[in-house]
Amino acid sequence: MIDEQRLKLLTEGAKYDVSCSSSGSKRKNTGGMGNGYAAGCCHSFTPDGRCISLLKILMSNDCVYNCKYCPNRLDADVPRVSATPEEVAELTIDFYKRNYIEGLFLSSAVEKSPNYTMEKLVRTVKLLRTQYRFHGYIHLKGIPRADEALIHEAAKYADRMSYNIELPSERSLKLLAPQKSKESLLLPMKKLAEDRAVFREEKRKGLFLPAGQTTQMIIGASPEKDSQIVRLTQSLYRSMGLKRVYYSSYVPVVHDSLLPDLPAGQLREHRLYQADWLLRFYGFTAEEIAPENENLPLDLDPKCAWALRNMQLFPVEVNHAPLELLLRVPGIGGRSAQKILQARKYTNLTFEHLQKMRVVLKRARHFITANGKFYGAKSETAVRGYLTAGENSENSRQLSLFSDTETALSALTGEL
Amino acid sequence: MIYLTDGTKECFLTAFLYAFSDENALISSSQTQLALGQESVFVAADAAKAKKTEARLLSFDKDCMNDLFYLLRSGRNDREQIAFRYLKLLTEKKMPVREMAEDASIAANECIRKVTYEIHRMHGFVRFLESASGALYAPLSPDNDIVDLLTPHFRARLPEFPFVLHDVKRKKAAVYDGKNSFLAPLESAEIVLSADEQRWQSLWQRYYQSVNIPQRERLKQMKGYMPVRYWKHMPEFHATDPLST
Ligand code: SF4
Repeated sequence: MIDEQRLKLLTEGAKYDVSCSSSGSKRKNTGGMGNGYAAGCCHSFTPDGRCISLLKILMSNDCVYNCKYCPNRLDADVPRVSATPEEVAELTIDFYKRNYIEGLFLSSAVEKSPNYTMEKLVRTVKLLRTQYRFHGYIHLKGIPRADEALIHEAAKYADRMSYNIELPSERSLKLLAPQKSKESLLLPMKKLAEDRAVFREEKRKGLFLPAGQTTQMIIGASPEKDSQIVRLTQSLYRSMGLKRVYYSSYVPVVHDSLLPDLPAGQLREHRLYQADWLLRFYGFTAEEIAPENENLPLDLDPKCAWALRNMQLFPVEVNHAPLELLLRVPGIGGRSAQKILQARKYTNLTFEHLQKMRVVLKRARHFITANGKFYGAKSETAVRGYLTAGENSENSRQLSLFSDTETALSALTGEL
Repeated sequence: MIYLTDGTKECFLTAFLYAFSDENALISSSQTQLALGQESVFVAADAAKAKKTEARLLSFDKDCMNDLFYLLRSGRNDREQIAFRYLKLLTEKKMPVREMAEDASIAANECIRKVTYEIHRMHGFVRFLESASGALYAPLSPDNDIVDLLTPHFRARLPEFPFVLHDVKRKKAAVYDGKNSFLAPLESAEIVLSADEQRWQSLWQRYYQSVNIPQRERLKQMKGYMPVRYWKHMPEFHATDPLST
């Protein structure tokens, strides 16, 4: 059994990785313990509002690399600890059995060498799958510069793998993570995507990364604009077939002249998640969301900002507008749009109907008519005023974002 | 007239037949709803009448019994009344009303969603204790009467472990003995814990404390996702060890 002190250190080293999702796997129980839960499942929530789905730990925090922003970098003076594959597998099983977790998210510092580290990760996942006959969710971090064969082996047992691209540009990566390179991160991602495609095409037996790949980048440690980040995100979805791109607003745990001393605003991170949501679910393109060389506005969500730039398209009539257009109305999300599509089959919807159906009209009313009636503000300036009302000062923005439950609930996903 | 049922589907469908033509009818399984001066009558379940009602309702909407199933599982006192209004609307419209912008449909949908959402939540929030025999025991107090509806999920993932899901509020338990599952009344349970149970709980508490980022406190969000009333059966909130380590 692993001791509390090491568990603490190995958890603290892993906690800034945002991804904890357990979705996308339908792995079956074929004897033994566990299965996939395609929709994902949260087992607990911590006071920072984040979901605990997976046991998220490092195999080791003892690193031979020296990424500037990282508390575990070679130069850092921190206690160094490692766990064994046996300890991690046992911990996973005993937590899983008690329904504390949905599975394991195992990452690691580069202990000794990339191959040494990756071998330990592979050994752990094999132990779980074959010896313990564990079919719960496993997310493995890919170690940059580890052998292709090891990576491929890992993918045969894991549900999801991720290489974190860390920083949104090659330049920043060179500066802040000198031992990593664009190639050492992107090439294995690409290879895994290709292998996965081949695996599916040939309908081979077994599973190969059923939940695909994700990645993460740090926001605010380097000077890239949101427009660049959103475009990069879009191209990762399009060319690598990633399931998710995560953002992690920079938390300064390390002092370095190359790094900012202040944490990046969480509001900025939230706006990026909202932009990501628009890309993934509402049919927006990066170019529509974030004009070249600009940051996303902080005082408006990116859908509102887009709508204000495209007022000629509005108002749209809720009784006729196609789904794609309804989804572009500020304040109308996926569920509301579905409810509208269903209900309008039976009757001509009025504002009263929408209210009863709990479609939130605070923002939407400026962009829709219901049965021909319009209840929004007359001029664009007035609309802008309503949309930004109460969000004038930096302080109230940060507060209001997370203080009412409705926005608080969407804050994790960026759902709009 | 208030038609009082015993909470079962059969009794509800019997009452529905009586209440249907009564303008001011209320159906309830809970006597606390009784308003002063309103007449009430106990309805006895009648299999033939219930069957007749069910067939008629199904002729308008083949899925409506599924809705009724979840509505009657709701922990709300007015669940029968919500179901009654919803199914009455169905008989008026003579076609599925689930998606209509009608009060009765919206109320029914919200009520059903609360029940199914709680089932999903409980898949995550249930906490098993390991007993000395290796069987798993989880106490819980859900808002809705769903404890047996959680069994299939845990059975599919832990087929080799007998388990007991104990609804301590309703004093009943969903039991899986390693082969079969069934529902049984259960007042209270004495569990002899396995030798390592306490240590795994401590490790879990340690993990829970270590994975949090204290600089980013968002308690409102946390409680929105995981309401405080669920905390009492979760060991991460029983830590004797203070959060700051
Ligand atoms: S590789 Fe870089 S980011 Fe990862 S643990 Fe080592 S120093 Fe930190």
